[in-house]
Amino acid sequence: MLVPLTSLKEGESGKITSIKANPRGGGGWGFWKRLMDMGLTPGTKVKVVKSAPFRGPIEIYVRGSRLALGRGMATRILVEIER
Amino acid sequence: MKRKKLRFALAGNANVGKSVIFNQLTGLHQHIGNWPGKTVEKAEGTLHFKGYEVDIIDLPGIYSLSTFSLEEIISREYIAFEKPDLVINVVDASVLERNLFFTLQLIELETPLIIALNQIDIAQRKGIKIDHKKLSEILGVPVIPTVAVKGIGIYNLLEAAIETVERGIRSPRGIEYGKEIEEKIERIAAAIREINLPYPARWTAIKILEGDKKIEEEVKRANPDILRLAQKMAREIERIHGHSCSTVITSERYEVAGKIAREVQRIQPVIKPTLSERLHDVTTSRAFGYPIMLLVMLSIFYAIFTFGDYASTLLSDLLYGSKPFLDQFLINTLLKELIWGGVIEGVIAGVTIALPYIVPFYFILYLLEDSGYLSRIAFLMDVVMHKIGLHGKAFIPVMLACGCNVPACLGCRIMETERERFLAAFVVTLIPCAATTVVVLGLVGKFVSIEWALLLYIVDLAIIFTLGRVAFKKLPGEPTELIMEMHEFRMPHLRTVISQTWFRLEEFIKIAFPLIIISSLIIKVIELAGMFEPISVLLSPVTVGWLGLRYEMGIALIFGILRKELTLIMLATILGTTNFGVVLTPIQMVIYCLITMLYIPCIATIAAFIKEFGWKKAILITLFEVFFAVLLGGVALRILEPLGVL
Repeated sequence: MLVPLTSLKEGESGKITSIKANPRGGGGWGFWKRLMDMGLTPGTKVKVVKSAPFRGPIEIYVRGSRLALGRGMATRILVEIER
Repeated sequence: MKRKKLRFALAGNANVGKSVIFNQLTGLHQHIGNWPGKTVEKAEGTLHFKGYEVDIIDLPGIYSLSTFSLEEIISREYIAFEKPDLVINVVDASVLERNLFFTLQLIELETPLIIALNQIDIAQRKGIKIDHKKLSEILGVPVIPTVAVKGIGIYNLLEAAIETVERGIRSPRGIEYGKEIEEKIERIAAAIREINLPYPARWTAIKILEGDKKIEEEVKRANPDILRLAQKMAREIERIHGHSCSTVITSERYEVAGKIAREVQRIQPVIKPTLSERLHDVTTSRAFGYPIMLLVMLSIFYAIFTFGDYASTLLSDLLYGSKPFLDQFLINTLLKELIWGGVIEGVIAGVTIALPYIVPFYFILYLLEDSGYLSRIAFLMDVVMHKIGLHGKAFIPVMLACGCNVPACLGCRIMETERERFLAAFVVTLIPCAATTVVVLGLVGKFVSIEWALLLYIVDLAIIFTLGRVAFKKLPGEPTELIMEMHEFRMPHLRTVISQTWFRLEEFIKIAFPLIIISSLIIKVIELAGMFEPISVLLSPVTVGWLGLRYEMGIALIFGILRKELTLIMLATILGTTNFGVVLTPIQMVIYCLITMLYIPCIATIAAFIKEFGWKKAILITLFEVFFAVLLGGVALRILEPLGVL
């Protein structure tokens, strides 16, 4: 089942399948290239470590490093939950 | 004997200890400036080693060589066009995979390379052991393990660097992509070899397959057919893989980086969480994150204000104390007035801000940054900054601004895009700095009540949020979101922190002092020409008519442009008393402080703004804030007066 990265609970992992385009337009090449360059390519395993309070950013563990990711961005990353 | 000259560039991800290695290598022989025409820092230094004079350039910390940010473009153009004799790629051993992704791109750019495998101590604490010999074999470049903060491996690194240059560089093999991609890269590269481009052909071919706009343009200018060929190939790759060609190439590059990392590192899971990990958990936890942040910041502010106030008074007493001494040398009274009142007063103004407030502020900021805590603050504050269309990193300049708007304005460089930089800088100019706080507390806090002073801050905060939101909605361009690596907590390297602070101070002096002195001089000339009274009268429709102030207060506000605390000091001089309660009504004091908080960025901040964003935007912002503050002051008066609360 494909779900946005934000719906993973703390400690859960998933595999990135795709990245949705920004519904409000924009968020084009630059945004998307940046995600790729930070290692969030399709097929990559990510683990949600923590979610900041008040719908803040999420902390993920990916490719051996810790990343903070804005929530809006994270909702557009679709993952397959791994249990 | 003439020394042989060499040029080395340091390249690598952010926070891998690059600047520490830079400091270890160059010591005091360094210089930090800007890249020509860009607001990106350029650190250069020299060292002498075995008869060589080596120039070291510290390139900005980046994750990729695409064109997402200014830093990435600068780095890759430097490597491709300026062709340094050697690139020292600083790699964080504790995050090997991500770092190798960048290394592979450097190899693709066919640059002469050696690797400093840094922070092996941190990696060890995480249970990671790396076989550096094997890594060197696989990549075909020398790999030197280092612990830069302790100076371990620096000598070996330098020795290996020189040796690599002397031996003549063997070009390391780049990575091989899948067969279907390699085939296409080769076809495009063959066509590119026919035209004359400053970049390596294979690299160019990969970049246009990835859809890199800047390289595409250059290829198009030389021969549009090649671009068309590449786009056709890219579509074929997309058909095969079901993802965009750029995604496929980036994925494969990461795949290779991951494979190499797994091959050379052995991970023994540590049973007990490391200190760094525990610190991370606590500082970002739901329960403790915010209280800790608040505590840290309050103590910083308290320390800086206490120290700043003390040191500022001391310095200013000392400097003013030199007046009789200087007087002996100046006979002509008019000249004396000009030199003393204009130039020297200006210098005093600058010195009493820079040393007591700016230096400690920067010092602590760099300590926090180097330790890793700053990125945790950005993580926590992302939600709040989002409300004004910025992301967590923008909180750093905002925090700086409470001390002084000048470094804060320059600090907006950490934002990724031009739009974010400008938006953050606009918000920064609205934040009351230390000097403004002194005025508000000294006037309203002392002669009205502390509650009213607090209320002024709440109103100011509301205004900042409202204006920030409006600017966010109105400014063109897409907002970016937080995407930031949170590296391990570590001990900051004191010498690096000190040298960074030193260069910030130097920068402040260069930017702010000329304008401070010139404007002091102008104000002095106006005073000597006896123009204060006429100007006060001229301003009185606004100051008295609209704002309900005393007409002399207009002059004090003009002085405030030099530095904000002068709005209080000059007020005392003009009114002939420091017991403001007797000569001013509470409403006048509240309105006066409200205006002081917002009415104009001080001249040094304007200077910084000009440097970062140009004249036009600086003038626009300044004029806007003047009008806005005057408008708001009048409205506030008309609300407060009938209420009769004061």
